[in-house]
Amino acid sequence: MDVVQVEGLGKTYPGGTEALKDVSFSIRKGEVFCLLGRNGAGKTTLLRILATQLRPTAGRALVLGHDVRTEPKAIRGRIAVVPQEARPQMLLSAYDHIFYYCLIRGMSRADAKAKTREVMDELDLWEHKDKMTADLSGGLRQRVIIGMALTSEPEVAFLDEPSIGLDPIGRRTVWGLVRRLTKRGVTVLLTTHYMDEAEALADRLVIIDKGRTAFLGSVEEAKSAIGAKMRVIVEPLVATNTDGREVLTPSSNEEVLAIVERSLREGRKVTFKPPSLEDVFIQLVGGSIEE
Amino acid sequence: MKNRLREAYFVGLFDSLPLLRDPMILVLLSMISFLPVLFTFVITGAGPVTYQAVVGAIVLSLAFTGLFSSQSVYFNKHWFRFQDILVADGISPTAYALGLSFATFIVSVPALAVALLLLVVWVHPDLVGLLFGALASIALWISMVFAGFAIGASTKNVRRANSFPQVLSFFLGFIPPVYYTLDRLPAEVRPIALLAPTTHAAQLAKHYVGLIHLGELDIIIGWAYLAIFAAIMAFIAIRKAHWTDP
Repeated sequence: MDVVQVEGLGKTYPGGTEALKDVSFSIRKGEVFCLLGRNGAGKTTLLRILATQLRPTAGRALVLGHDVRTEPKAIRGRIAVVPQEARPQMLLSAYDHIFYYCLIRGMSRADAKAKTREVMDELDLWEHKDKMTADLSGGLRQRVIIGMALTSEPEVAFLDEPSIGLDPIGRRTVWGLVRRLTKRGVTVLLTTHYMDEAEALADRLVIIDKGRTAFLGSVEEAKSAIGAKMRVIVEPLVATNTDGREVLTPSSNEEVLAIVERSLREGRKVTFKPPSLEDVFIQLVGGSIEE
Repeated sequence: MKNRLREAYFVGLFDSLPLLRDPMILVLLSMISFLPVLFTFVITGAGPVTYQAVVGAIVLSLAFTGLFSSQSVYFNKHWFRFQDILVADGISPTAYALGLSFATFIVSVPALAVALLLLVVWVHPDLVGLLFGALASIALWISMVFAGFAIGASTKNVRRANSFPQVLSFFLGFIPPVYYTLDRLPAEVRPIALLAPTTHAAQLAKHYVGLIHLGELDIIIGWAYLAIFAAIMAFIAIRKAHWTDP
């Protein structure tokens, strides 16, 4: 069953900026679906449309079988959003944020206390419950925001770059949470800048470039789509920095041999690695995600 | 309806929680509108001039905090991004707006309590007069909340979100005849002073508690001005503040 269906979606902002031109995909129940694209590719615009926070100007999007444009109320309350770069209120504790959001959602005080405890335990926040969020690390603050959003037990979770700025342990905590959500049957749509995150989490992904769908499929399908069997890194023998480093994706044995031969002649080191999602991204979009 | 009111209550409580957790700051912020009363009292003692200032403090405590709803609107949408979380949750936009308005009211409570106490002790207004004076202040507060929503929803950067309501508070609160009477101004300046909604609210409140006398026409004009101002601000706020962005 498709939980999200997007057909030819477009968005032109009132000022005339065309953020999305033609994006189509669908997301199945319980899937982790990653949305990749450069800065300004339209990822957040797309996520906000699906989360009923922004009106599309073209195409159609259904979430849980309801049109985001005409039936937003039927969608709200069954979804949760972790907005990009959301920040907790610095003068309140982690506990306050989650507890009061439970109350806003209509829980009784007793239920709100129990739910807050459950969510904080799940996010390893309980030991920090009384600290003001001003005194928490960036990773813990992000977990507070995630905790606020997920107390509603959503059917679909929209996470907009939830691990941005986190250290490796913080990122893995978020990954663990995403996996636990999908085990409970929650469908997750995740935008990310990190290719390794998409590789680790995505059941399927869409790459958006210049407002259009550049690729749609699984990570493995993405890798095979570019026809590269391996990634060849050619670099100076003594690497002091990344100057002179080349990352190549040969598509035939002859090409591999030619690269090796040239590298030996130039006295450079050759390393073989399996193709990564970043290679796919670079090939499809024509630049790195950071550009 | 009950659920929506409950949502509004907790939205407001959450929004005002940082101040409630730090009552000293709450009292300090609240008392800013009360400072002119203190100076007036020190200079002139307890008398008509100070009583005018007390009524001004009541009117402006509400007006200032209403205007500062702009900060809540801006920060909840663009800084904390709590609004996005609440939209997804299915929280009612009306409950959200009521909640943020309620939060502004909480901030004005300490100053209102002190000013009302002084008014009762010094001026002995009758209950009806007090009630109508409060209504004039509340009418101004409602229009300022709408103005705050319009400003907060239109503000594009954090610096403006902080500075604009403060500048506006100064020009609407401390310059017009709110702490002092309209007749202290030169006759040629009075029409300009009457452009400020705070002037009308203060004049009406002073009239109802018995500090000045307004003619019937002035009373009608005062209420009409406040009503029209509130309607215009409501119209702008509804046009500018979006639950679902266009």
